[in-house]
Amino acid sequence: MLSYSLRRTAQGLIVVLVVSFLTFIEAHLMPGSPARAILGVHASQAQIEAFNVENGYNRSLPVQYWDYLGRLVHGNLGFSYQQNQTVAALLGERLPATVVLVGLSVVVALLLMIPISMLQAARRNRLTDYALTGVAFLLYAMPEFWLGLMLILLFAEKIRLFPPVAPQGNVPQILSHPAGLVLPVATLALGSLAVFTRYLRSSLLDNLTEDYVRTARSKGAGEWRVMLRHVFRNALLPIITLVGLSLPGILGGALITESVFNYPGMGLLYWNSALSQDYPVMLGVTMVVGLATIAGNLIADVLYAVADPRVRYGRL
Amino acid sequence: MTASKSLTGSEPGRGPGEAPGITTPEAGEITRTAPPLRVALATLTANRTALAGIIIIVLMLGFSFIGPLFYHTNQISTNLPASLRPPGGAHPLGTDNEGYDVLGRLMIAGQSSLEVGLAAAVVATMIGVFYGAISGFAGGLLDGVMMRLVDGLLSIPTIFLLIFLFTVYSASTLLLVLVIGLVAWLVPARLIRAETLSLRTREYVQAVRVVGGTRRRMIIRHIIPNAIGTIMVNATFQVADAILALASLGFLGLGVQPPATNWGAMLSTGVNYVYAGDWWLIYPAGVAILLTVMAFNAVGDGLRDVFEVRLKRR
Repeated sequence: MLSYSLRRTAQGLIVVLVVSFLTFIEAHLMPGSPARAILGVHASQAQIEAFNVENGYNRSLPVQYWDYLGRLVHGNLGFSYQQNQTVAALLGERLPATVVLVGLSVVVALLLMIPISMLQAARRNRLTDYALTGVAFLLYAMPEFWLGLMLILLFAEKIRLFPPVAPQGNVPQILSHPAGLVLPVATLALGSLAVFTRYLRSSLLDNLTEDYVRTARSKGAGEWRVMLRHVFRNALLPIITLVGLSLPGILGGALITESVFNYPGMGLLYWNSALSQDYPVMLGVTMVVGLATIAGNLIADVLYAVADPRVRYGRL
Repeated sequence: MTASKSLTGSEPGRGPGEAPGITTPEAGEITRTAPPLRVALATLTANRTALAGIIIIVLMLGFSFIGPLFYHTNQISTNLPASLRPPGGAHPLGTDNEGYDVLGRLMIAGQSSLEVGLAAAVVATMIGVFYGAISGFAGGLLDGVMMRLVDGLLSIPTIFLLIFLFTVYSASTLLLVLVIGLVAWLVPARLIRAETLSLRTREYVQAVRVVGGTRRRMIIRHIIPNAIGTIMVNATFQVADAILALASLGFLGLGVQPPATNWGAMLSTGVNYVYAGDWWLIYPAGVAILLTVMAFNAVGDGLRDVFEVRLKRR
């Protein structure tokens, strides 16, 4: 178990290096030079040269990358000249808000997934199944911003049940207005729910054809007992991996959801930085999002290995 | 029973790849096998959801590309006095905030949405197929390096990359295709690598080496043709994803230079008038995206039945 986790962590660290390399390349894709892009068009030549010396942009690329890695390890994600703040400080305010949004929506999606998929598997190829599959298909094809908009129209305009704008401020302030969280969380959760139910339903149906189901049935177990006690446990396992793999998609969805509801998270920070061309913030957020995804995948894989011993002895 | 089979509502009791009218030979009976393409088409059209998907795609293509030949509207210059007219009269779907006829605009927007979607899927699939095949075939250190690069890129959500690239570069259709294609090739690369890993050990691929064939021949003549099922299924899903990505970009106001537009960009203007009750600015474009994406997903699911590819999407 330990050796599997270590091997998997080592692999994760290599991917972190790759992501850091990619953001480093991104920094050099910026229009003109990084100095010009960060200081703006009005900066003088002397200011640019001073900036280059101060940030090491006058050195060779491998040395620059090495320095960049050194700064990352020390938690230095760069400095936003526009907001006169370190990127780490900006992220410190926004990252927890995104964690709340993403965490809540994943939990909601997982909780709703279970009864829906079980109902579908139990009533497979009948009207209920088709109807639910149709809804999943619809949600799957719906752009997040459009879904969010429809929810606002329905629940904030027609029936004034929830506010159309997310609560502002830090995490305690956001959590103290749960009504404002409902629509953003629902927007993000419904998209994942469509993916999760599709997957769990097929996983349940695959397991229903296994020998152990026939054995359970021959011992007199009813449909729901077979489903709950036998099939469900086995079918649920791959969902751990699925959640890990869905993370980039969910974080991307969070960016859209945050900009629809003006939710004060990392995605909105990224988007606002893009609008004001605040590149250091964009690069810092990209790095943190990459780290979050890698960490999420790593946790999912290790959890899976805990839950299913067969993984540990198989190929990495 | 695979997920896709029942998802797409194919009839129970019929195995994948079995279409009506194609019977299993009895013992000793000699039958002529139907051409594979016809079997594929028969299976695909026997699947009602996939058939509906094909019909919707054909209708959308016709609507966007042939429609403007019959329904003439001015989509180049704005006409502010005629802005925000509700549907009726000369404008069956009303006009938008700049006075463009919404029905005509829906067609023009459809052209760019479908063009970008299809072209980006082709770009992504081509890069992914060759990258995956080379990586899987090479094995060892090169494979490790190539795949860690894929892992790294996959861990940054697509929309973050797209926003960055469009903040740096100004938009054009070609750039949209290249950029969406360049961030979407990762999944096909992984899938093809996995296929290659299993195909390269097969005897008929090994036989190429025995008769002195090159590695390039093995990849192009043997590995890629045998992975064609996986490639086509994924390519179909890629179109749907590219159209969705384009819509999200359009919503954020990226990737379009007026007077050009796409369905996402149309929705983006509609959002500003949503509280004014101007429903014709948000529902037609939204429904167009929804229908097209669902159609491509349905065809992808149907193709998966045809090729019996048991791959997990994403």
